[in-house]
This record gives sequence, structure tokens and C-alpha cells, in this order.
Amino acid sequence: MSETTVRAITTADDLDAMRDDYLERTKDVTLTVMLCSGASCLSSQADEIEDALARELTAAGLSGTALVKHTGCIGACGVGPALIVEPDGVFYCHLKPGDVHEIVTEHLVNGRVVEHLCYHDRDTGQAVPAFDDIPFFARQRRIVLRNCGRADYGDLGEYIARGGYRAAFKAITEMTSQQVVDEITASGLRGRGGGGFPTGRKWAMAAARPGDEKYVICNGDEGDPGAFMDRSVLEGDPHSVIEGMLVAGRAIGARHGVVYVRAEYPLAVERLKAALDQARDVGLLGEHLFGTEQAFDIEIRIGAGAFVCGEETALMSSVEGRRGEPHQKPPYPCDSGLFGRPTIINNVETLASVAPIISRGSAWYRSIGVEGSPGTKVFALAGDIENTGLVEVPMGVTLGEVVFDIGGGILGGKQFKVAQTGGPSGGCLTAEHLNTAIDYDSLVKLGAIMGSGGLVVMDSDTCMVDVAKYFMQFCANESCGKCVPCRIGTTRMLEILTRITDGEGREGDVERLIELCDVVKDTALCGLGQTAPNPVLSTIRYFREEYDEHIRDHYCRAGKCSALFVAPCVNACPAHVDVPAYLSLVAAGRPLDAYRLIRQENPFPSVCGRVCTHPCELACRRGQLDEPIDIRAVKRYAADTAYESGAVGTEPIPGHRDGSVGIIGAGPSGLTAAYYLRLRGYEVDVYEEQPVAGGMLAVGIPEFRLPKSALQREIDTIRVTGVRIHTGVAVGRDVSFDDLMTRHDALYVAVGTQLSWTLGIPGEDLPGVVHGLEYLRRVNLGGTSPQSGSVVVVGGGNTAVDAARTALREGAEHVTILYRRRIMDMPADAEEIAEARDEGVVIRELVSPVAIEASDGRLAVHCQRMALGGFGKDGRRRTVPEPDADEVFMADLVIPAVSQFVDSSFTSPAGVRVTSVGTFEVDGTTSMTNVPGVFAGGDALRGPDVVITAIADGKKVASSVDRYLGGDGELWKGPAIDVPEPVLDDGDTREHGRFGMCYLAPERRGRSYDEVAQGYHRVDAVAESMRCLHCDRR
Amino acid sequence: MTTTELSPASPGTSARPELPDDMTDDVRTRLGQIVARHQDHPDELIQVLHEAQALLGWLPHEMLTTIATGMGLPYSRVRGVVTFYSLFTTVPRGRHTIHSCLGTACYVRGGRDVLAKLSDTLGIDEDETTPDRRFSLGVVRCVGACGLAPVVTVDDDVHKRVNPNKINDLLERYV
Repeated sequence: MSETTVRAITTADDLDAMRDDYLERTKDVTLTVMLCSGASCLSSQADEIEDALARELTAAGLSGTALVKHTGCIGACGVGPALIVEPDGVFYCHLKPGDVHEIVTEHLVNGRVVEHLCYHDRDTGQAVPAFDDIPFFARQRRIVLRNCGRADYGDLGEYIARGGYRAAFKAITEMTSQQVVDEITASGLRGRGGGGFPTGRKWAMAAARPGDEKYVICNGDEGDPGAFMDRSVLEGDPHSVIEGMLVAGRAIGARHGVVYVRAEYPLAVERLKAALDQARDVGLLGEHLFGTEQAFDIEIRIGAGAFVCGEETALMSSVEGRRGEPHQKPPYPCDSGLFGRPTIINNVETLASVAPIISRGSAWYRSIGVEGSPGTKVFALAGDIENTGLVEVPMGVTLGEVVFDIGGGILGGKQFKVAQTGGPSGGCLTAEHLNTAIDYDSLVKLGAIMGSGGLVVMDSDTCMVDVAKYFMQFCANESCGKCVPCRIGTTRMLEILTRITDGEGREGDVERLIELCDVVKDTALCGLGQTAPNPVLSTIRYFREEYDEHIRDHYCRAGKCSALFVAPCVNACPAHVDVPAYLSLVAAGRPLDAYRLIRQENPFPSVCGRVCTHPCELACRRGQLDEPIDIRAVKRYAADTAYESGAVGTEPIPGHRDGSVGIIGAGPSGLTAAYYLRLRGYEVDVYEEQPVAGGMLAVGIPEFRLPKSALQREIDTIRVTGVRIHTGVAVGRDVSFDDLMTRHDALYVAVGTQLSWTLGIPGEDLPGVVHGLEYLRRVNLGGTSPQSGSVVVVGGGNTAVDAARTALREGAEHVTILYRRRIMDMPADAEEIAEARDEGVVIRELVSPVAIEASDGRLAVHCQRMALGGFGKDGRRRTVPEPDADEVFMADLVIPAVSQFVDSSFTSPAGVRVTSVGTFEVDGTTSMTNVPGVFAGGDALRGPDVVITAIADGKKVASSVDRYLGGDGELWKGPAIDVPEPVLDDGDTREHGRFGMCYLAPERRGRSYDEVAQGYHRVDAVAESMRCLHCDRR
Repeated sequence: MTTTELSPASPGTSARPELPDDMTDDVRTRLGQIVARHQDHPDELIQVLHEAQALLGWLPHEMLTTIATGMGLPYSRVRGVVTFYSLFTTVPRGRHTIHSCLGTACYVRGGRDVLAKLSDTLGIDEDETTPDRRFSLGVVRCVGACGLAPVVTVDDDVHKRVNPNKINDLLERYV
């Protein structure tokens, strides 16, 4: 911090002199290092970096020409500690004290940017050295944060040199009180603390009161969890708040100012105190400001931990040294506020916006943002998001831009679920709101509020009932207890929410909650109570089905409410396979028992050990430490070992039951139902149109991912229980649906999706165009001729990627996948995409075919290039055609693989109800269609989905059919298996990534259909199993 | 906050007796100086309590009576303010005070698991002190370091992105 010349500032010339002093003492500076000294960075060793900087600069002889500025929060809290080197504008992040030497010697001395310490783009992995090129910063508009990260928070001279205190000078010497009020009113500035009350109107009311014993209070009791912009402004630019208060004092004719700061922000108190001393020393606070009769001074009051003190009447009680209990309004603070005097209370961010409005005029301010909500808003981005920190954006920016463009999207490639705004008084915004422009009024319409600007982003692992419970717990804890509706209402709501998350919810609980919410909203004394119901109402409004699942099914889809499940992996598995148990068995050297245990819940361990999309691994808590357990690979090891040992037997069927069940479709769902119904003692016949059993597993997944033998042995295990599989029998052609209805007591329709959607473009019927599923079916059934030349595949799902990899093996020299969105948005498995690219498949994103033409014996695929548009309901970016951007791809074979749909026409004579897209309509609990005794499930119910869901459906239907036929719905899965105690680490778990599996090297894959993933050796499987943290036991 | 003091809290009946060595003559002298500085300003009661609590890390009964008498306030007013605000405590603190953050950002990033692990490891609940007075455990609602969630503070140190499986390592740094 530099010396400032101490003399009283009374004229504009004095301000100029302060500016010139600053420029004089920094005139030799050619390089500036702006070191972020925000609280987040300081807690990440920024102080050690400062010491290192001082040492290194001296050692390099740069002490005179390089200046280190301690700036307020730069905003990118998630990548701190951070610094910016000016004038080059290079941003360095994730710094360690040891990195400073390299920055000084390389960049400051030699002028070479140290790329490896720069920010790296997540998608490209490339360094982005320039501050202005980083999307997080480039899209911001900084008014409130104008000095944060740019100027030294402790240097009054620099604040003045950057235009500071000119607004105070102008307001006090050149404007009347009324003019100041009018200017703020005209700017349309609204209270940034959450309510959005027009600041000018508040000031006008206080200004109209007689006398000069009035108060300006700055509300720095930033209590909303998740909001930290006020903290950053107080720490990073305290003079901007002081100046705003001076202007406010001028506007209403007050002599006294009070800043009320949370005790949790000691650094803010310290820096504000220092700034107040500096301002007093030069006469910017005190009597006769700028040589006028205006007097104003500010004192700091520190809170002591009470959320309710953010409410203005409670805050005033606290400033008076009392319990921070709110009181009834009126009287309003502008009539009778602090110590009974007229008082205005403004939030930190509001006051920091004041000086620029006075300096540059209300018209300028109104030109930013939107009608009704002018200006900018600072958001504190936090939660499951890539770039956490503070961002200031114009009002009216869309939620999607904040979350994805600035925030960088969701961590760990998960799905966006909600953004919560307004903390415990607010609500949530879902994926369908990503295109919503954010301003005060739009948020209220959606049942949320702007609040102070905390924006907590939550991914698909978030349970919305749990979120509601969290906020209610907060409100119940923070309720001051003065009024009954808040004190008792929040407690009762918390009790109901707690029992729902504990699996003890009752029918009608949601209605009870809504009723309580309405009462508390209408009758609570202050804002805390009146808004406490908002998170509950908002989560019920958008996620009612999650409440119902907790209450009715005792199921928490997010895997958060631990009373409802054994372990997150088991909860995430649609078939609810007991993962920790079979990991224990493998670890204990009992793979055969592990296989048996898996097969109790899933008759396809060998298949799922290869192609399951493993939702269990996404939920695995080990992933928070290092990497999730490779559950799929261990399952495959158990299955392979069991089959190779030859000891895989069938479970004895405990008893015969009367009843015959017909199943249409021998895919995973049909065969699963067949297996469990047969074990339950029923006669089971399965009808399959294709010449082989297995459905999509047999004809839709290529050999190199799922060898025929691995599938066949599993089908054989089902067949030997006595299930009769009739292949080559098409229902509707070889046998009628009605016949089956008379032949069997119940029918399960599990036909999957067999028909490919077309692209709907000209030329799709040309020879040489083969749809994806048809192509895979031909190759799998051995009916295709080898391919040469170039192949173009259109689509982004697993079928597209499978077709591309198959085409390579069939002999194609070049295979290109065209996808209309970005690669990161492809629905295919990330692992499969990576393997395809390793093998040489080229993926072109953002291109969409518009026509296929025959051309010299080849095919020309005419494409339109696409650009990113708004957000779809699923959170993925939509794409829009880019004008005049065409591209042509030449090919010898074109494989459109965009999606599949159900052919349900064979059931129409029986009147089975289907949806407009041909999928079956069933009762959610029983899976029965509108025709008694006819059930449906798997892809025929959902459209194209994954294997494990189809299996889960088959199991569920088996139970429903049993109940329909007079049973109790309990499935017989085989005798219980004794599970050994797991081996757990003592004390802290040591980090260790996955034990890798062997893969066939890409160059050895060539045209071979050998399985690419080669499975675990026993030692690796045992070791991998021992990485399990056993969430089920702790 | 209004419910933290439901158990009989008057001196002598408290579940955790005050340790006699906390209130020394030196502490009494310094407390007297604090009270003297503010005695004419009852609105500064909260600042007085902050300064007083800084002496021992907690507010023994004797301190409250001294403050009430010195500032000319009823004891009930002083006690009422102390029990209202969560940062004031009438329970002895450990040598190190751990605060596990349960602000929204920390909560969604696993703050609850961190608190459970701390509570388990130390054998104490929220707002309690270990028998050896090494650690006190508390919950804080957002320290404004949401970018670093989940956060645990130990005294003045902020520990970022805390992993429940690494709690022992963290605690060992404080003796």
C-alpha cells in the first residue's frame, strides 16, 4: 500500500491533485501484478504467494518498475489463487507459491507467457492466457464490481484516480437533494438485497421528512447461504460503498451512516474500517464536506449471527444493541427507524451502484438491462458448476447463458437439474427455464425471487425434497420466535419434510404442506416467515413426482435420502442389484457366489458386465474421492469366472403354479420376465420374430462389444429353467395377437423398438442408404457384404457409433459420423465415443444433412452447418442453421441412425391403447395396459432406452403378472447368499484410482470382431472390489 | 437459535460446570476496561459482548453480570441478547473451534457428510466441546466461500473442498 498525501479534499482540484499524486507515484510502473486478495483466494495461500512475489521481484530487480496490487475479488473463486499481469492482460490461476518464480522470470522479465499456469478451456484443453478471452470474464458487464480485481482495495488515491468520489462531489456541491433523489428515481435502480423495491422512491420518502437527525444504513448482513457479493464489494472496493452512502446522505439530508456487517466477515470489517479512516483523514467524512454545510460520518456495527437481522426492522433493533427481532410495519423506517428517526436501509450492492449512476447519468444506467429492471446484477455462482465465483451481468441475461456460457456448465459431465435463487426465501428454476431472461419480475412469475443474487446450481444427484427440507431447517433454526406462524409453522413443515425424507411420509402430506405454506405466507410478521414457504412451494410445483416417489414408493431417485436405500449404487440401479454385497464376495474370493447374487436381481450379469450404462458408477461415492469403482468390470469378472468354471446351475423351481404366460419379444425385458415367472412356477412361452433370441442384444450390438457367446450362455441359463423360446415367429403374421390372448392367461408385450426413424430428407431411399438398425442387424446375422471406401453415419446415439465402428471392421477406409449438435451433447456412451475415435472414426459436430444425391456411382450428402441456439428442455443446446454454410460429404454408404420407434400395430385388433408415437400406455403401478392381462414394458413402453431399464421392467412385470394370476407378487430368486464382512481401510481412505482393464490396442483391432474390452484378471478384480467404501455399512 | 438454551442454564445447574481457572484476575481487569469504554452507550452492548467473548472464547455467567452491572442494564437484557445471537456462547470452547459450513453450496457439495464425519470422529455433536477441550464443533451457515465448497473452518483457517475421508489428516494439524 502506498503513501497518500494527507490533506483535506474540499474542491474538484483537490480530487485532481489526489489523482495526480497517484499517477506520479506509479509513473515508473511498467508492469502491474494484480493479486486477488478476496477471501476465497486468501484461504488458498494467496498470502504466501504475496511473499513469494515480493521476494522474486526484488531478486529480479523489478521492485521499482513492477507494482503488486492487492485487489478485491477477481471473481473466479473456483480457480484461485489468481493474478493478472497488466498491461498484457494475462490471467494466471490455480497458483502455488512455487509458481511465482516462473511467472516473474519468464513473463515479467522475458515477456513470455507461462502457458501451463494459465486458465485452460475444459473442452479443448487449450490454455487461454488473455483475461478478456475467457468466457467467464468476457461476457460480464462490471459496474458494481468496477474496481474489484482491478484496483488496490486499500489505495484511496487509486480509487480517486479511477474516478472515485466525483459522484459524491457532484451530488453534494452541484446538485440539490431533490435532484439526487430524482436522478436515482429516473435510473430505475431497484434494491439489490432481494425485494427489488425502487431505491429512488425509498429515498424520496425519507427526504420528505423534516430534520437532519436521519440515518443511512448499509445492510451488509448478507445472510442468504450461497450469496457472497456484498462481502466481495466490502472487501474489494469499500470506498464505493462509502461514496454511495455519502450520496444517499446528501439525498435524504442525513448526518449519520451505519454499516451493519455480519460478524462472519472479519476481513470485510477490517478493510472497511481502514477505508473509513482514510476517508476521514482527507475530510471525505465528517463536517463541512467539500466545503459545504453537509456533514456525514459512518460507523460500523457488527452482527452476531442471526439471519433475521437482514430484515430491516430486525437489523435496526440489532444496531440498537437489542435482540434482533422484527416489528410490525408501519411505522416504516423512513418515518420512524433507527432510534426513532427517519432511516433508509440499502443493501451493499445497491449503494455500490449509486456513484456510477450519479456520474454517468440515469439515462446511461437505463440503457443497460431491461425495462423494469435496469442495470446489472451480481450473481454468486456456486454448487455443481464448473466456474464458481462472482459474475456481474446485465439484467435480462438468460439463465442458460449464466449457467453454461459463463458458468461453464455442470461439473463432471452431469445433467443440469435446477438453479436455486434467493436462498431460503427463493425458489428453483429448472431446465425448461434456461431460456428465461432473468430479472426481478420474470423470476417472481416462476415462483422464485432474485434475492440477493445467490445462484446455486444443482445437478441430477440433487433430491428436491431434501433441498426443501434443508431450507426449512434453515428457516426453523433462524426463526426469531416472535410470531407464532413462523415459529410453529416452520417447525411443523420441517417435521413433515423430515418424515418424507425418512421414508415415513403419509398420503396427504403434500397437501398438508401446501396448506401450511399458504397460512405461514399470509400471516407471518416479517419477510423471513412470509418467504420461508417459497422453497417448499417451488419444489412441489416443479418436482411433485419426487415427493410422491418418496411417500408412495420409498424411493429417492437422486440417492440423497439415505434412510430410503442401502447404498447410492443400489439405489441408482434400476434393477436394485446389491452392489456392495457382490463386491464383498469378489473381494473374499467367491466370484461364483457374487455371480449368483447378481443373478438374483438380474439374469444378465455377463451382458450387463459389458454393455450396461452403469448408473451405479455415476452414483458411487468413491467418485468424490478419486474414481468410482469399476462396478461393471467386476460384474463381468464374476460372470465370466462363473461361466468358465462350468458351475453355473439353475435354481430349483420351488413349486408349480397354474397359469400360462405368453411373452412377445425375446429381448432382455421379455427374457427377464420369462425367467422370474418360470422360477415362480408358471408355464412360459416367448415369441420372437428374429431367427435368434436376445433382441437388440443379439442384433443391435456388435460382436466386438458383446460377443455372441457371452449372450448365448445367459439365454441358455434362462432356457434350461423350462422357458420355451419360439424364434422366427412374428405376431400378427405367423400367429395373431388374439390367438395368443386365448392361448395364455397373461401376455407381456416387450417388443422393443424395431423401426428406424428416417431423416425425412430427399434421397433417403437411394441404393446405398441403409438405416442403422437394419445395417447392424444384417451384419450381426451375417448377411452383409464387405464394404470399401467411405461411410457416412448420421446420428449421435449408440446405434450410430456402433454402426460406425462396425463399418470400419467391414472394411471401410473412412468413416465419418455427422451430428447436428456438439460432440459433448451426443447421447452415446462417452466410453464408446472415445473408443470409436481411437479406432479412427471421425466425428463432425454441428452439421445436419439436408439431402442425399447420387453422384458418379457414389452418394453426396449435402449438409447444412449448424450454430448454437437456445437451450432445450433437457438442458442441451439447440442448434439452428447457420446461413450460407453448406458442406458436402461424399460416401459409398450412408447410414442414418437417428432413433427408433415401436411398431405396435399388431396389437390394435385387440384395442390395446398406445400413445401418439406408438409406445404402449400402461398403469404406472401394475404395468398393465387397458386390456386386462396384457402388460407392456421395456423400450416398447419408453422408447429407446438402456438394457438395465428393460431388465428392471421385466422383473417388475413378472411380479405384476404373478399378482394378476392370483399370487402375492413375491418373486423367487433363489436361496439367500451369505455375504462376508467387508474389508475396510483403517482411518482415512488412501486415494487410489481404478485398477485398469486391458483393452485391445486400436491398431490391433483393425477388421477384427474380437472383443475390445478384455476383462479383469482375478488380482485386479479383487483389488478393485476392495476400493468399495461400503456406504452400506457406515 | 431461540431453542439452543432450553436446558436449565443458570450457573451451578449447567450440564457443563464452569472451570474455575477461566475467570482470572487478568481477565476481570480487561473486562472492566471494555465495560468502562462503552458504559454510556447501551446500544453498543453487542460490541461489548464481542470484545468480552474474545477474552476467553466464551461468556461465563460472571462476565454477563459484570457487563449488566457496568452498563446499567438489567441482567435479563444482557442474557436475552446473548441467547439470541448464535455467535455468542455460554459453553466453554475448545482450544480449536471447528465450524462445518452448511450453507447451500456446501450442503449440495456434501457438507452434511463432512459434519457427520467430524461429529463421529470427535465423538461430540454440534455446539459441544470434546472432554479434553481440544475441539469445539459448530455449524455455520455460509462463510461466503461458496466457490470452495464444502468448507470447514478451524479457528481462522478455511479448509476448502473438504473430503469426509480426509478428516483425520485435517484434525491432526491442530493439537
